[in-house]
Amino acid sequence: MKLKYWAYAKVVCFLIVLLWAVSCTKETVNLSEETLKYNQIDAHLRDALDGKNTKEDRLQSVDKAHVLYRTLSATTSEKLQKIEDISSAYYELKQYETSAKMDRKALDLANTLKDSMKIAKFYGYFGIYYRDKEKLDSAYINFHKADKIYSNLERSTTYEPQVYAFEHGKILIDLANLSRKVKDYSKSEDLTVRAIKKFELSEDYSYIPLSYTNLGTVAKELERYRDAVSYYKKAIEHSKKISKDTLFGVLGNNNIGTVYKSQQKYAKAIEYYNKALKYKPFLNKRPKKYARLLDNLGYVQFLANPDDPEAFALFQKAYAIRDSLYDVVGLSTNNLHLAEYYKTMGNDSLAIVYGIKAQEAASATNNNVELLQAYDILSEVSESEQGLAYAQQYINLNDSLVKMERAYVNKFARIEFETEEKVQKIEKISRENQILIITVLGITVLSLLGYIIFRQQQRNKELLFEQKQQQANQEIYRLLLSQQTKLEEGRKMEQQRMSEELHDGVLGRLFGVRLSLDGINQRVNDGYTETRTKYIEELKSIEREIRLISHDLGTETLSTDVAYVDVVENLIFDLCEAHKLQFEFESDEAIDWDIIDNQKKVNLFRIVQESLQNIFKHAQAKNIKISFDYVDDTINLTILDDGIGFKATKVKKGIGLKNITSRVRQMNGVVDFISNNEEIPGTKVTVGVPI
Amino acid sequence: MIDDHPMIIEGYKNTLLGENQKEYQIKIDIASNCDDAYDYIQKSSKSTPYDMLFVDIKLPPSSDGKITSGEDLAKHAKQLLPKAKVIILTMHREDHRIHNILKNINPSGFLIKSDLTSSELLLAFNNIVSGTPYYSATVNNHFRKMMTNNFSLDEKNLKILYHLSRGVKTKNLPNYVSLSLSAIEKRKNQIKEMFSIAKADDQRLLEEARKRGFV
Repeated sequence: MKLKYWAYAKVVCFLIVLLWAVSCTKETVNLSEETLKYNQIDAHLRDALDGKNTKEDRLQSVDKAHVLYRTLSATTSEKLQKIEDISSAYYELKQYETSAKMDRKALDLANTLKDSMKIAKFYGYFGIYYRDKEKLDSAYINFHKADKIYSNLERSTTYEPQVYAFEHGKILIDLANLSRKVKDYSKSEDLTVRAIKKFELSEDYSYIPLSYTNLGTVAKELERYRDAVSYYKKAIEHSKKISKDTLFGVLGNNNIGTVYKSQQKYAKAIEYYNKALKYKPFLNKRPKKYARLLDNLGYVQFLANPDDPEAFALFQKAYAIRDSLYDVVGLSTNNLHLAEYYKTMGNDSLAIVYGIKAQEAASATNNNVELLQAYDILSEVSESEQGLAYAQQYINLNDSLVKMERAYVNKFARIEFETEEKVQKIEKISRENQILIITVLGITVLSLLGYIIFRQQQRNKELLFEQKQQQANQEIYRLLLSQQTKLEEGRKMEQQRMSEELHDGVLGRLFGVRLSLDGINQRVNDGYTETRTKYIEELKSIEREIRLISHDLGTETLSTDVAYVDVVENLIFDLCEAHKLQFEFESDEAIDWDIIDNQKKVNLFRIVQESLQNIFKHAQAKNIKISFDYVDDTINLTILDDGIGFKATKVKKGIGLKNITSRVRQMNGVVDFISNNEEIPGTKVTVGVPI
Repeated sequence: MIDDHPMIIEGYKNTLLGENQKEYQIKIDIASNCDDAYDYIQKSSKSTPYDMLFVDIKLPPSSDGKITSGEDLAKHAKQLLPKAKVIILTMHREDHRIHNILKNINPSGFLIKSDLTSSELLLAFNNIVSGTPYYSATVNNHFRKMMTNNFSLDEKNLKILYHLSRGVKTKNLPNYVSLSLSAIEKRKNQIKEMFSIAKADDQRLLEEARKRGFV
């Protein structure tokens, strides 16, 4: 039963897996080819980083990921991320050269993408690569480049400083270490302080203890022992935050011990070495560190009291551990200590044996400091000739070391100077570019401004001209009107004169002649009296006629204000005749045109003209009726036609109507256009203007 | 005889002297302007007063500007020579002027030159000499017209009508008649009511005034 149950379960499981697989493939089919590749790369990388797989398999997985990576087409930040991941995987698998190659590619990609943060990061990777290869100058160059990029980023506001502060801090700590290595301690200190600031900003404290340790070491080298101790203590303090207090407890106390040893405060040194030795469970797992502590403790005890048997025992214990681990670095120190011990004990032959061992180990590990010390001891304990040779070697090595350190310091300085120079050059060029851009912009803006001003002036001139023209027009109308008035006045005066002349002069004399003739006729009767009487009657009728003419002349006195109306009527007459239209024109006699200002008269005249133009152009009218009426101190002008009318909404924006409206507004009047009304067949324009 | 046209004086002389020389001894002084005329009138009032004055209405005014027409001259003459018979001879035949002259001077004779013939002048002369006033047909016509109206219009109203008939606008009337515009409007309405044509326009008013002989 149980077996059967299992079989069922297996089948069910298989089916579920199958279904899942199918659904999965379905899904992936929907995804684009590119995404698929990314997913595959991720899968391969997962395999590569899986510690359970064999190293061979893991390496193969990274290679697969790399092959897939090469088929990726688009240059995107995702692609950059993948190459970075691949590089990390190679690094993880200790394929440093391949990793560096990947980094090179990644750097190119980052440059194309202009991703400053990534560029800096890859420079950092190169720095680590060269640092590990002991190529200090190359390492320094790359770290320095990374530092520059991060520093520049700080100036721009593209990213929050927290985002890259940690990475920047790491670079700075690396630079600090390099500087310390070439004994440029003050620089190393500066860099470390900067690094600590960055780490604090990033709120990732994992490197802070390390930084303080570095500060401590630098301080010790600068013989600021008190500072050194306090830095190491700080390192221990800070290590608690990242729960690495055990490691830094050991290291820190060891370092403090060393500081005191350098100060020849051996009791204190012993105290701290013992403190470090208290981390038993930790040290049991790390025999190298344990051995070093034992060795250090032994050496200090030996220094404090050369006869202390415990010191030799400690040396022996450490030596045994290191020898079993084949810890060449540790053995080098151990041998040195033993050589010194034997030298102090006066056992020169053993001192030489250990001195030579120390020299070999130090040479193997490139530990020049200890090599020097070995040469030193050997020169003292060897036979005179041999000793001299060792002394010579000591001097040579020391000289070459000093030279090398100096060369490094110089090189670092040059690197910095060169980058600084490059940056300055770039800044100079960019500044020049900026100046150029600003100049070009300035010129453009100026010329644009000039153009605008020019246009504005031109426009103003035009407006002024228009205004002048309008004024001239009005002046013409005013003159026209006053001319008409004067003409009318002159005519009237002349008529009056003629009337009076006729009435008083001609008529009087005629009367006198007639009367005389009549008198003669009464007195003399010569048979022609009848005929003469007839002629006298004729004279009388002539008199009547002249009087009538005189009367007509005298009474046909047109008042001056008729002039304006005449002008208007003439206009209407002329236009209507030209367009063959019938018109009626009326003007209320109550309107005193004399007291109405010319502006209004001209405007009304223009409105009539404009309206007539509209009628001729659009209305197809046959009859026009125009009238001026006077009601309540308002002149009402009405222009009526029997044409086809217009749609008020459609023609609202017509220039003719606009002109009329604006003229009426000038006179504070009202205007109304009525068209296609039921009562009015054509169009009616009514204008009311207050006097 | 006062007239600025020598030809007219000649006519008067010819008419009067031709026939009447037999009956009357006629001595004639002639003046052609107001100054001369006034001098003669004053002189005669102190010596031998004139029996009769022939006065034209339209005359060159006196140099001091006080006497502007025959009308003014006649007024002075009436004071200086109360017994003298004044005969107005004028070319004007407008009703309101006739009316005014009649009212102001009340002349013994009123002759309209255009009507006048020598026989009529003689007739008038003889009538006036014998103490009967003589008026021209036109003047008599005016009297008749006045009589038919059971009302009369005063001088101002007549003036208003006269100037209106000349084509003067109502609003310009204050320049011609010494009344305010509102007073003129009021009078116009009164006239219209008298003519029983209230609320008629000016044209209708003038038509009516002409018909009734006021214009």
